[in-house]
Amino acid sequence: MNKGQRSDRILVGGFVSALLAAAVLFLALPMQTFSETENRVLQRPPELSWSHIWNKQFSLEAEGFVTDHFPMRTSWVQLKSEMEQLRLQQENNGIYKGKGGYLFEKFEQPDDAKAKEYAEVVQRWAAMHPEAGMTFMLAPTSIGMYPERLPWLASADSQRDVNAFVKEQLKGKLTFLNGFDFLSDATDGNRPIYYRTDHHWTTYGAYLAYSAYSKQMGWEPLPESAFNIETVTRSFLGSYHTRSQFSGVKPDSIEVYTPKKPLHTTVSVADDRSTSESLYDTSFLSKKDKYSYFLGGVHALMTIKTELPAADVQLDKLLVIKDSYAHSMLPFLTSHVQELHVIDMRYYNGNISQYMKDNGIQQVLFLFNTATFLESSELLKLGTKSSV
Amino acid sequence: MVFSSLLFLFLFLPAVLILYYVSPRRIRNLILFLTSLVFYAWGEPVYIVIMLLSTVTDFSFGLLLSRPKLSPRQRKGIVASSIVVNLALLSYFKYADFLISNVNSVLGTNIPLTDLALPIGISFYTFQSMSYIVDVYRGKVQAQRNWIDFGTFVALFPQLVAGPIVQYSVIAEQLKNRVVTVELFAEGVRRFIIGLAKKVLLANNIGLLWHTVSNSSASEMPALTAWLGIIAFSFQIYFDFSGYSDMAIGLGHMFGFRFNENFNKPYTAQSITDFWRRWHISLGSWFRDYVYIPLGGNRRGTWLQLRNILIVWVLTGFWHGASWNFMLWGLYFGVILVFEKTWLLRLLERSPRWVRHIYALLLILVGWVLFAFEQMEQLGGFLLAMVGGNGSPLWDANTGYLFYTNAILLVILAIASTPLLKLPRRGPVQLICCFVLFVLSVAYLVDATFNPFLYFRF
Repeated sequence: MNKGQRSDRILVGGFVSALLAAAVLFLALPMQTFSETENRVLQRPPELSWSHIWNKQFSLEAEGFVTDHFPMRTSWVQLKSEMEQLRLQQENNGIYKGKGGYLFEKFEQPDDAKAKEYAEVVQRWAAMHPEAGMTFMLAPTSIGMYPERLPWLASADSQRDVNAFVKEQLKGKLTFLNGFDFLSDATDGNRPIYYRTDHHWTTYGAYLAYSAYSKQMGWEPLPESAFNIETVTRSFLGSYHTRSQFSGVKPDSIEVYTPKKPLHTTVSVADDRSTSESLYDTSFLSKKDKYSYFLGGVHALMTIKTELPAADVQLDKLLVIKDSYAHSMLPFLTSHVQELHVIDMRYYNGNISQYMKDNGIQQVLFLFNTATFLESSELLKLGTKSSV
Repeated sequence: MVFSSLLFLFLFLPAVLILYYVSPRRIRNLILFLTSLVFYAWGEPVYIVIMLLSTVTDFSFGLLLSRPKLSPRQRKGIVASSIVVNLALLSYFKYADFLISNVNSVLGTNIPLTDLALPIGISFYTFQSMSYIVDVYRGKVQAQRNWIDFGTFVALFPQLVAGPIVQYSVIAEQLKNRVVTVELFAEGVRRFIIGLAKKVLLANNIGLLWHTVSNSSASEMPALTAWLGIIAFSFQIYFDFSGYSDMAIGLGHMFGFRFNENFNKPYTAQSITDFWRRWHISLGSWFRDYVYIPLGGNRRGTWLQLRNILIVWVLTGFWHGASWNFMLWGLYFGVILVFEKTWLLRLLERSPRWVRHIYALLLILVGWVLFAFEQMEQLGGFLLAMVGGNGSPLWDANTGYLFYTNAILLVILAIASTPLLKLPRRGPVQLICCFVLFVLSVAYLVDATFNPFLYFRF
């Protein structure tokens, strides 16, 4: 056998055994049902039946099944991310690798029609409740706040413009609190207002939001000195890191602000009828999804009741319609509000007007970040008959 | 199913290879035919009926044609019927809605659209079947009497969905007798991996640049961004398509088939005439053999030849899609070819090599603009941006960003478009390259399906 033939044999043998090895590994390795990294339930084995073959469900599920359970999935994704960085690409899977260890989600100018549609439905709904006070807080995501930290020459469309546009749409009934107004002063400081690897704001960012809201409500916000500030984890690699898998990214720290004057709160989650004495779920600190430490993550409806001395009560009941930016901000409000009713409209399908009536709520806070707001088609539920 | 999917690579392909090689020789075509049907039905469970219909029709017409004592009229009638059936299938599924919407807009009528999805590969397999009937008619090949062999010819999964368009005469003999040597199989693996890498590593990534550019508004686009975008598209379409052809040819080798080449470094062309000898060769030869030559080719005087060129290229354009821009694209090349035939080529021959090269590339790039935009306003807007007619500056920061983040890839693409970089036929360098390309391709394939669900983000 000459050298050429040997080379051919190695190539054929190597290729065929690689295919077979992957197939065998795939079939032999234990199947996970949930991916911590991707934070989602993985595709289950497809069900073989004529109707599933006919309507393509079988082929779609089978493909999803193979890709979801492909051996060493994360390592492959990391290899790809490495290659992209080697070729000087500054983004991967929609995430920029910015300066100073900051990762950013790309932000592209949305179509105004959508922003307008969502704002209008909020506006109309608010107008139907003339007796209630309404505030709309719209916070930029980190890319909106730190354009100078984007990769060299990269540009992002302006969230400032989007926020101004939404403010214009909401004029009248709602008081608009623009994140750019209360966060801008802190951007040049040393204290991060956003996580570098995640799409949320830090607890400090949330504190600034709380201060702004308190002032607007006419309350005296507690100074930072009224809190014990502790770091609960230093190994938080958030959603931006998960998606991009960029290497060499320093993990974030998560801080928690505990009032020095202790409060007794009870958190009731309506979804599973559970109650808890704590605003924080420490079990998440050892998992991938560490931000869910705040309030235990997303719930359709929860109430947070706080026993406050009468002198400290500024408001008896507040309804918060929100995205997950609220999770780190709500704990601050417990020092002022006896009952927080917190609704996440993606999961809550009840009639919100009725809920307000039933609970005698006179004050509402909408809290969203700009990127989420532009995708919040669930706000349209406010416009349907059942919500009125 | 597509070749560049994990399911194909790591389940379907090994399964077919095992089935094929453990089976006795006489049923191997049956194995290929059946697995090809599974391959097709995977994405198109319903439309498999249409493919089978086309196959059965042409198989029967072929048998009819081979009967002795047919009058020339009858023989012509049989060929015509076959062509009518195939073109009817193609027209109904590919062109009906185009026709209806044009009739509607011209006559102000309101005929409902069929809204049918295009059956995968219909443009390819109808052309293959037609070539078969015409070749039998011309006496170039014997009619196939074995329906499994004929079915294998039409449905053969390596070339079923995106070519190359294999003419029956090329593989008639291979359907009966073919030998797979280790050497041929190794060549197949090499071609397949190169094709996979072209598609997954090169075409898909430069495609992201084109996606970014084509999705931004042309009215404010700096000229250099537009040029960068269309260059990206040119690379994307070439590496995508030729990568697919490489994979098809490589897979064919693994089962003992030798298909004709489909691309020959088209971007090194020195003229448009040259380009079309190098681009999608199997389609060009098909139109030459079954349209251009029957129309009289170049044998009936210059005027008729020029007419024939225009007809063939408008049809070539239209074959690519049911939309005016594809016809325009074909016509554009038809006109250039007419110019080249009449005087331009003589002029080019006297010019330096680099002038010819730039001439050809510029015309090809502009051609891709016509190809890329189905909406005429978008097309016009983009052409305007390329010449700076929208009043935007020549470049901006974003141009710089798009350029430097893709510079290395663009250099690789440019080199890979020329014959400069040739993988050695055998030996350790080739083995290492194949290994690296394959591993990286799998990494990019896995990443494409990586789908973190950020439920907490909302």
